[in-house]
Amino acid sequence: MGKAVSVSTTTWDTEVGKAGSLVMVDFWAVWCGPCQMVAPIVEELATEYDGKLKVLKLNTDENPDIAGKYGIMSIPTLLFFKNGQPVEKVVGAVPKRALKEAIDNLLKAPTA
Amino acid sequence: MPEPSEKSLIKIEKFVKGFAEKTGTAMHPNPTVTESVVKGLAANVDELGRPLCPCNFYPDKKAEAKLRRWICACDEMQIYKYCHCLLFVREDGLPITEYLPEGHEGRKCYGVVNDPTPDKGRALRHQAPKTPSTS
Repeated sequence: MGKAVSVSTTTWDTEVGKAGSLVMVDFWAVWCGPCQMVAPIVEELATEYDGKLKVLKLNTDENPDIAGKYGIMSIPTLLFFKNGQPVEKVVGAVPKRALKEAIDNLLKAPTA
Repeated sequence: MPEPSEKSLIKIEKFVKGFAEKTGTAMHPNPTVTESVVKGLAANVDELGRPLCPCNFYPDKKAEAKLRRWICACDEMQIYKYCHCLLFVREDGLPITEYLPEGHEGRKCYGVVNDPTPDKGRALRHQAPKTPSTS
């Protein structure tokens, strides 16, 4: 069963840069209300897309260098990566169906 | 993140209640959302002296706290009545997006969400760019 795994500055390159599959990273913060709404959806997606999508979560307070590198402003932000490169960004407490649509489109898209 | 002080929590809770009444907005139906944001604002009062929005990432929090734009109630709330933190929302939990410029992330995320109390709030509405969507 899939599970969203915490990623940090020290594990970023291994977890994201060298991942073989599509990666979704949930950029969140402790006191962010909408992040509380998105978190359970992210967990559900990790299970539903197990084997097709790697689901990670990054605490922006604890890993400001990574959040800054990818220009994160509003949180939650969900960033998708292919071959270590960002390919799609979804901002805010989006409904699950919108996230599924984004994931399905990215899974269908040919890999560069 | 350390828990905020009781003093700051009380201050923020009082502000939030009053501002919601003044602007005709409601608390989110999921109390966890409101509780998180209130704690975040109070924690930032303790840390920075001002209620900096906890739903953004700031490369330099101290520098950001000296500016006006993300101090609650933020510029987006005062101009567009949009709270991306979901602290000041409609009764159904949706943030008001009808005054936002097209292409704003709030529009992309929630679509057009109408304001049930257009006679209230938007103290800085005159700062909105003069476009058809914000008239």
